[in-house]
Amino acid sequence: MTSTKFIKQLIFCTLITPLLSKAQNFTISGTVKESSSGETLTGVTVSVVERPRAGVTTNDYGFYSITLPKGTYTLRFSYVGRKQELVPIQLESNLTLNTKLTDEKEASMTEVVVSAKKDNDNLTKASMGTEVLNMKTASKIPVVFGEKDLVKTLQLMPGVKSNGEGANGFSVRGGATDQNLILLDEAPVYNASHLLGFFSTFNSDAIKDATIIKGNSPAQFGGRLSSVLDVHMKEGNNKEYQTSGGIGLISSRLTVEGPIQKEKSSFIISGRRTYADLFARLSSDLKNVKLYFYDLNAKANLYINKKNKLYFSGYFGQDVLSVNKLFGSKWGNSTATLRWNSIISSKLFSNTSLIYSNYDFNVGFQSDGVETNYNSHIKDLNLKQDFSYYLNSSNTIRFGFNVIHHTITPTKAEGTGIISTKKSQKGLENAIYASNSWKPSDNLNIDYGLRFSFYNVPDSNKTYYNLEPRITANFRLSNTESIKLGYARNTQNLHLMSNSTGGSPTDQWIGNSFKIKPEIADQVSLGYSKNFNNDALELNTEVYYKTMQNQIDYKDGADINTVPNIESELLFGKGRAYGWEILLKKKKGRLTGWIGYTLSKTERKIDGINNNQWYNAKQDRTHDLSIVAIYNLTPRWTLSGTFIYSTGNAVTFPTGKYILNNQTIYQYNNRNADRMAPTHRLDFSATYERPARGRFQSSWSFGLYNVYGRQNPFSITFKENKNNPKQIDAVQTSLFQWIPSVTYNFKF
Amino acid sequence: MKNIIIILTALFLTSCEKTVTLSYKANQSKIIIEGNVTDQPGPYLVKITKSIPLSDTTSYPTIDNATVTISDDAGHAETLTPQGNGQYRTTSLIGTEGRTYTLTVKAENQTYTAQSTMPQRTPFDSIKIEQVTFIGKEIEYNIIPIYKDPIAKGNYYRFVLSVNDKLINQHFIQNDDVRNGVTNTTRLEYNDDDDDKKLKAKDRISIQMQCIDPKAGQYYTTLALIADSGPGGGTTPNNPPNNISNGALGLFSAHTEETKTTTLP
Repeated sequence: MTSTKFIKQLIFCTLITPLLSKAQNFTISGTVKESSSGETLTGVTVSVVERPRAGVTTNDYGFYSITLPKGTYTLRFSYVGRKQELVPIQLESNLTLNTKLTDEKEASMTEVVVSAKKDNDNLTKASMGTEVLNMKTASKIPVVFGEKDLVKTLQLMPGVKSNGEGANGFSVRGGATDQNLILLDEAPVYNASHLLGFFSTFNSDAIKDATIIKGNSPAQFGGRLSSVLDVHMKEGNNKEYQTSGGIGLISSRLTVEGPIQKEKSSFIISGRRTYADLFARLSSDLKNVKLYFYDLNAKANLYINKKNKLYFSGYFGQDVLSVNKLFGSKWGNSTATLRWNSIISSKLFSNTSLIYSNYDFNVGFQSDGVETNYNSHIKDLNLKQDFSYYLNSSNTIRFGFNVIHHTITPTKAEGTGIISTKKSQKGLENAIYASNSWKPSDNLNIDYGLRFSFYNVPDSNKTYYNLEPRITANFRLSNTESIKLGYARNTQNLHLMSNSTGGSPTDQWIGNSFKIKPEIADQVSLGYSKNFNNDALELNTEVYYKTMQNQIDYKDGADINTVPNIESELLFGKGRAYGWEILLKKKKGRLTGWIGYTLSKTERKIDGINNNQWYNAKQDRTHDLSIVAIYNLTPRWTLSGTFIYSTGNAVTFPTGKYILNNQTIYQYNNRNADRMAPTHRLDFSATYERPARGRFQSSWSFGLYNVYGRQNPFSITFKENKNNPKQIDAVQTSLFQWIPSVTYNFKF
Repeated sequence: MKNIIIILTALFLTSCEKTVTLSYKANQSKIIIEGNVTDQPGPYLVKITKSIPLSDTTSYPTIDNATVTISDDAGHAETLTPQGNGQYRTTSLIGTEGRTYTLTVKAENQTYTAQSTMPQRTPFDSIKIEQVTFIGKEIEYNIIPIYKDPIAKGNYYRFVLSVNDKLINQHFIQNDDVRNGVTNTTRLEYNDDDDDKKLKAKDRISIQMQCIDPKAGQYYTTLALIADSGPGGGTTPNNPPNNISNGALGLFSAHTEETKTTTLP
């Protein structure tokens, strides 16, 4: 089947169902914004009081469109933490209705921090395995060094597991770290961590919200097996200039935002830099050490006319680490996104994006006066076209395409006397997709779609084709209960070569080749949700089963950084993961928070490893528990605490020993058959908001990480005992015991 | 990588080490074969022992009733003489560069074979000592073996380091993957994390350089990679791939040897 023929069929299939219903109707469309800053609001539920079946949510640009028969209606706009807005309308012709929502906090003191777009979204939407996080939630949760962090907060959700103490890499439903698609304003971020993973690249001051989809992503997303983390940057206040910032133990932040054209367009610039090394250099021991990172986020939008808007967003971040002239390393991401929003008609919304993203890593050593450098990078040029077609009140269709041109340079050595033969690889990653959000009846929602992806390797003239069907359905059993069912296939054409668990700057990406085939995952999931106490308590639980094909590992003894041809060092196999996730949220009252628990299993079977038998993947965790509580003590004081418990990583301990050429060597048996000790920890923080003085608002946050000083295992090494070399000691290294922190935040 | 962790720890004050008790899985005792043929005059030794559980502090069992033969591709073959204590000795074999040696061991009703080719000798010129201050004022010593790698690719070098006549239980391996055909400038990645391993002025450094074949190179590279990370770190540890058939652990290596000695300034 040719691809054009295929596209036609795809669109036909998607459109056929909706087109069967016809009516003589009018359309209401518009944009929903926040009243204080003028920022558009994503995911606002727009419902029609008189017609419970009709209802849509605003898209990433705050746009919505509903088509209804002629008549009189009341539109209800609802969104987390905002006062609900009811607007009566007389529908006699197509109508534009722009709305502003005000912060609920101004109306009442009960603050809703745990996110849900509407109180019972979990019951009414078809989306599965999806968590939305707003930065308000993240800001109240205690974190190490008081550095609030989006990824660290996500790791408290069931199904999302931290890869170890301090690690910013995360594993979703048994997936590897590289199987998460991390998007910052649509641009892929290839290494989302700073300082070896202790911090994420997301400066929380510049972030509006983030959504994680655990495998059941809609058809417009693709390219990674396990999850999509879709992060949106703030747009900036389009009413007045505002400065905000914070001073913390290890970093400071500053953000400036304001209107370009008042009430129409705005900009925001936000920066962050750590300065631990500046203090450290005061001590003569560390005089020659440089160690810092910085981030710069900038975004601007330009109002062209009522129907057209341009957005530009950019991110630049870098880590620097050097000691004298002996050792130096730099790594960082840069991304840029140019988007053009166009309301083609009241029913058709178009977004065109041109995206650039780049990750660079460079490390240099000096020995005997000779320099050696290792570097790797990946660079993307990316074009996306997405259409949303609001066909009628029960069908919203999305379709579009995506073309990405990758230039990938795996770790390459350079320096005196080195003749490098490694070349950059090119890859062309393409996809076309169509999906429909369909409401066949009052209590049934079905999202279905198809993504057709094809990856071309110009060097070997090879193209891989994949069809990725996705479907999720939500059936409402009663006013407080629903069940969900989902299936999705995802494929992945880029693969991360890493010799660390937690994500390291030396990790290098490679693309498909003649030998390396796309990874494929199929996931089936089943969910149940119930709300109690007038939607104040929300219970969501899901089970999933996932199989993975064409998984990659290395041969024993492969040094992935220096080997001339990495492909010769790879082994291939399959994986499977299954588990049960439960999340109980309390969304209202002075005490809010959640309890998340996951019971899961993740295994791999690779030809040439562990005698070709199934073995536990590194990221396999049997139990994973997190408890988050936020308590409004007084209007000014907020207390919060988190507790986590998780089974230790699956690791391989030696079982025996022998002597070879007078050296003791350890003998190993089955791969990853052992466990590190479990990790558990209690963190605590308190936030005090000072009374505002005019425009000037400020707050203090105090935190204590690892309250009871648990020595969680970071690594274990085996050593001969100093006094008795015949005895082998297991020595465990732990990080972070009792880390206090204090942060001062301001805004004016 | 290790350096980065050290700096992080120094900056953020916190990290601690403690000895923990782990419950180890049962170990399957395996036959261990250690065989070396060098370009130095014989006799050459083959040693056959068995592995023991990690937590045992007993001595290693030996196998003294095996039949051990070594042959080369120039038509020489001999059966080695048992010496007791698991050792077997050649009497007439002369190790020669470029020749391929085959070891056969018959022990406990099993036959194990291994092959290794002795590479051409790359002369070991000298040991260079570089003094650097990395963190703080403390002087650290970089030990750089000086040799000129030949133009042909695929050379592996193993270094056996002794400090004050005490063998260091670490694996040092270099190859010409990155730099080929040039005089070596890369130091030995000596791990002195434990204070008692820190090098001091006037320490006597002795290095034996071995030119080994690629299979032995891979064996020691694996050991070095495992030692660098350990569980929880990067490379998943495993029994290094070796050149002995039938599941025996250990290594048979035909290599050249040359030793240099120096004293730290």
